[in-house]
Amino acid sequence: MSTTIVVARQQLRSLARSRTFVLMLGILLVMTGLSGFIGWSSHATIIRVYDQTVQTLTAAGKAAPPNPFASKPRLSLLNNMIIYIPLIGSLLAIVIGQRSVTDDRQAGVTRVIFSRPVGRSSYFWGKLAGSAFAGVAIMIACLGLSVVGLGLINQGLPTGSELVRLALFYALSGTYLFLFVLVGMVAALLTRSESLGLFAGVAVWVLVTFATPQFTSGLRPVASLNPVNDPVATSGSPFFKVTSKAKPFAVNEQYKALSTRILTVGSRLQPATSAGQLAPIAAFLLALGAWAHLLVRRQDFSEDTARD
Amino acid sequence: MPSSSMPTVTSLSAAHVPGTDPVVQLDGLSHSYGDIEALHALDLTIPEGEIFGFLGHNGAGKTTTLHVLTTLITPTAGSARVCGFDVVRERLEVQRRIGYLPENVRLYDSLTARENLRFFAQLSGVEDIPAAIDRTLGFLDAHDLADRRVGTFSKGMRQRIGIAQAILHEPRVLFLDEPTSGLDPMGVRQLRETVVRLNAELGITIFMNTHLLSEVARVCTTIGVLAEGELIYHDTLASTLARFPDEASLEDIYVRLEDR
Repeated sequence: MSTTIVVARQQLRSLARSRTFVLMLGILLVMTGLSGFIGWSSHATIIRVYDQTVQTLTAAGKAAPPNPFASKPRLSLLNNMIIYIPLIGSLLAIVIGQRSVTDDRQAGVTRVIFSRPVGRSSYFWGKLAGSAFAGVAIMIACLGLSVVGLGLINQGLPTGSELVRLALFYALSGTYLFLFVLVGMVAALLTRSESLGLFAGVAVWVLVTFATPQFTSGLRPVASLNPVNDPVATSGSPFFKVTSKAKPFAVNEQYKALSTRILTVGSRLQPATSAGQLAPIAAFLLALGAWAHLLVRRQDFSEDTARD
Repeated sequence: MPSSSMPTVTSLSAAHVPGTDPVVQLDGLSHSYGDIEALHALDLTIPEGEIFGFLGHNGAGKTTTLHVLTTLITPTAGSARVCGFDVVRERLEVQRRIGYLPENVRLYDSLTARENLRFFAQLSGVEDIPAAIDRTLGFLDAHDLADRRVGTFSKGMRQRIGIAQAILHEPRVLFLDEPTSGLDPMGVRQLRETVVRLNAELGITIFMNTHLLSEVARVCTTIGVLAEGELIYHDTLASTLARFPDEASLEDIYVRLEDR
């Protein structure tokens, strides 16, 4: 068995017994299970409001406009997931990445591990593989819950096209979350203190999730409440010229825009636009991955005592 | 994704001939942390089969020496060989032949002792892992701990499982860093007996950093004294006691050596 697989399996074993991980995973799965019902409930409320409006207009002898919500795609009932993934999923991902480093440190075993025939690159890839496996398993579980939820609401299984789009959405979500796994890993490698490492990871999460959107779609207030397809339209003023530079860094916005398009069956996925929105996420993934690898190779593992 | 293949371990202790080459050989070994020189031109040879006690006050450089010998850090000058292999150029060969128990090893609290041992056995490329675990736990009389979570263990129990992980792959030399630290008197006695048995029954050479001079006097065959990164004394315990007949104990000899 290769070192990479041994390290990955050990990480998964440790993760499965981490209370923080299990708690956060539970919250994400519960919210995923509920998301379809929350979407259905709000949709039903809107329809009821429309029906009452039609009754009032008809009683007054006025013509009622056609229902604009009647043809809403069924998958859009899951739009809440576009919020839950960056909010709950990202924190879970930070915990996974952080624990991949701190578990060994807390156990005081990094010195023992590196006194064995273990290459640093193999160790790094093992940690990455363990985290990726955990991420894929979580996304598959979320996909299953979404399919069941939609099936119960619509009293029938999703169509093939809907299933493909759901799978695409969770593949994109998994990729986005892996960014935060790497953020957690890098933060833990840069700091000796566990709490400081977690704080640094959460600070990056706040920046990505709440700060950068303020310079893109957040410039239009409605975009803060609803995911929008197109990022902010820039004008020629200096302010917009400066803030438009933040657009590639607003990976959260790229994720939300692309996810909205995927979950809206009516809208076609434009390969060029999708690639443009995926590019910043991929670039950050590569950069963070390379940084984490470099840190593992250069880390002084003779000092593995966890502080706090 | 690159993945290195594991070396396989059958029985290293059976593969070597005791009492031939030195197990540890330092030639002008130096190590600096920035501007601070932790080790200065250490020359030391430890033959196979010894129980070597490495003495010195806090900050003398004992742990740094151990980190060089266990390949955790690279020396800034000089060379170090373990079992005939250079710790820098032949790192993997060294790692296959050593066992290491750091100070305050805690292991994975959420896993059982057996799960912990399985992990380290896999990393070391042990072939028949269940048999190796059973054999090691039997040797340490620790079968009762096998399926309990390490998080519930006392310091002494952890130390036994710590030693188990260090000898699972049958190393030729075992490095122990302050192994009695934090142990109660019974734990200290158990550890002393274990060290002697490891040496006598399995033929493992022991390199032990310690503060406890009473343990050194009872267990070690050779001692070395390190002061401010320099080896100021190295001889067999018997010769040392004979050389200082006026001193009542090893502690008095140690104080005299440090004062010189």
